[in-house]
Amino acid sequence: MAFPNVRLASRPLHFIYVCDCSGSMEAQGKIESLNQAIRQSLPGMAAVARDNPEARVLVRALRFADRAAWHIPTPTPVEDLEWVDLQAGGVTAMGEALELLAAELRSPPMEQRALPPVLVLISDGQPTDDFEAGLAALMAEPWARRAVRLAIAMGHDADGEVLQRFIGSDPARGSAGGALPPGEVPGASGEMPRHGPGRSPRRPLQAANATTLARYIQWASTAVVGAASSSASRLADAAASQEAVPLPDLPPTELDPLDEPDPLKW
Amino acid sequence: MAWILPLASSHRFGGIDAPVRILRGLGGGSQGQVFEVAVGEEALALKWYFPTFLRRDPGLAERLAESIRRGSPNGDFLWPLALLRPTGPAAAMLGGAASGFGYLMPLRPAGFQGAVEHAAGRLTISLQNVLRSAFFLARGFHALHSLGLCYKDVSLGNVFLDAGRGRILIGDNDNVEVSGRGGGAVVGTWGFMAPEVALGRSRPDGGSDLFSLAVLLFLLLTRHDPFKGALERAIPCLDLPARRRLYAEEPLFVFDPRDDRNRPDPIEHAAALLTWPLYPRALQQQFERTFGPGLSDRRSRTLTGQWCQQLAATLDQRRLCPNCAEENLLDVRLSGLCRSCGAPLPPPMRMRTAAGLVAVAAGNELHPHHFDLLLAEDLDHPLARMVAHPRRPHLLGLENLSPHPWTLTLQEGEAIAVAPGETASLAHAAILTTPNGEVTIERPGESSAQA
Repeated sequence: MAFPNVRLASRPLHFIYVCDCSGSMEAQGKIESLNQAIRQSLPGMAAVARDNPEARVLVRALRFADRAAWHIPTPTPVEDLEWVDLQAGGVTAMGEALELLAAELRSPPMEQRALPPVLVLISDGQPTDDFEAGLAALMAEPWARRAVRLAIAMGHDADGEVLQRFIGSDPARGSAGGALPPGEVPGASGEMPRHGPGRSPRRPLQAANATTLARYIQWASTAVVGAASSSASRLADAAASQEAVPLPDLPPTELDPLDEPDPLKW
Repeated sequence: MAWILPLASSHRFGGIDAPVRILRGLGGGSQGQVFEVAVGEEALALKWYFPTFLRRDPGLAERLAESIRRGSPNGDFLWPLALLRPTGPAAAMLGGAASGFGYLMPLRPAGFQGAVEHAAGRLTISLQNVLRSAFFLARGFHALHSLGLCYKDVSLGNVFLDAGRGRILIGDNDNVEVSGRGGGAVVGTWGFMAPEVALGRSRPDGGSDLFSLAVLLFLLLTRHDPFKGALERAIPCLDLPARRRLYAEEPLFVFDPRDDRNRPDPIEHAAALLTWPLYPRALQQQFERTFGPGLSDRRSRTLTGQWCQQLAATLDQRRLCPNCAEENLLDVRLSGLCRSCGAPLPPPMRMRTAAGLVAVAAGNELHPHHFDLLLAEDLDHPLARMVAHPRRPHLLGLENLSPHPWTLTLQEGEAIAVAPGETASLAHAAILTTPNGEVTIERPGESSAQA
């Protein structure tokens, strides 16, 4: 006497970390902070995946230093994922990383049907190879264009311009809704400035210390995964949004480095 | 997870006399985080909002205060109990989080799991308990709507299920508001929002709740999304523009009787094809109506009371296959084939009351509404339950759950008394006399003239 053994139809949700492992990431324990932040975020990510039966959350990771390579090559269900520590050393082959990413976002190997992928680029420096070619290869893929692309800058040596180009322009910027008060940056999905001055998920997230990094990684792996699977409650001020995935509010952080460009606090 | 309130610390809050001890974090979302707390001896849940969310929803505190004053519509809600604001030293100690507030509510009792566990196929539940859960969900909304309130953010994530008892609890009641007032920041969750709300044409209210409730009931009953069929399969990337088309701009019910363009896919949407045929036409028609004309005409949406009625009536049709004991829902006067083993199902024995006709099957119940047409359907106070003999499973009896003695008249005319708590065999039962009314035991064949 049981209800039929069936379950809600689901689609894959690919979540891919693209991690800078150049030599500078060794300084002030940055690479350890990143390893810790990702490892600590996994239980929360697994919980979000569990609460979203319409999404099969599959995680991969790419690392880049002198060369780019898949760190976790197989799309792995988050509950089965064991994070293997990244090691730092070398230069910053970010362009090659984006090319590797592009090859995986082509169909095939991408499934015919999926939820918008989530791509998280984490870097502390400047690309040393052909970033333009890598970005062009990536953005030629429809799945990359539809992906939620986030960037986390570890410290102030990260190339904000490059990270912004990976994210793309903020679609809310300059759109309907009129001028914003000085110092305000448009929010994730509407005319209203929804984030504190300078902070927006459509801009590189400045992680100047391990705590802020951990909060952003946690946010990307939980709130953003929820948004990409459309399980989050929708807010009225997002109603006019034409975005593919309206991004959730950024997490509260004690310190917003963009407000006060501070020395590094690693 | 990074918690915004310090764990294992006690604080005094405005709004409550006893200190509140933060025990552990239970979870968090985009609006805030939920903690297990102790207030005196009592364990409760505390939802604490992020300041960013409070800026979006300036009416939240007032709305919560109103809900707290009013009290829970019935026992099926994890209703807000008290609004907490940090005062004095607590405000200083809580730092940035102190600019906000939170509210206390009951903890989710043991035995209840997220309704997502059911949808994801991760729990075992009987068809009867799925129907009971659906009934209690509809009744919860009936109670809420009867107070002139609306819920607004119906979704799988806001409902908890006790699979063993077929009970539900409705959580996340912080969007509840007087219907039509149109305040609040949250308008709903994709896949559940009524088209007019998803398109931004109106704010959520009682009428849009009816649509969302139907989606949730459909998910509970079928483990499938009512709009995911061939049209969803044709979408490569299910992003927001795609969802807008699927759920709001061109929604088409997968079982629309007049348009088959969005039928479920035999492989990807197998759940719908397996579960939808389990239900009687009268119940299916409620979905066809709400997801057909009801897409645009709000008056065509099935009302909460109608859901209660239909779901209770469906429970009365439950019968067990004599071959494999699987639960089947069929018109009690008809024969059919078992959905599981295909064995023939002859029309079952049934109980006729002044206002009901209930198939005889272990687990089926008689309720006060079966005896009185004017009573609303209620499953909380069963008067009688059909139970199998502990050693002879094919022998069924009727357990007296009422506080009053009954008289059972056998086919041969003999009358026996059935005291509260006793179970009388139905093998030769003819008429049961109870203070609520008479129950006639009908056997297929002999009663077709009356039926």
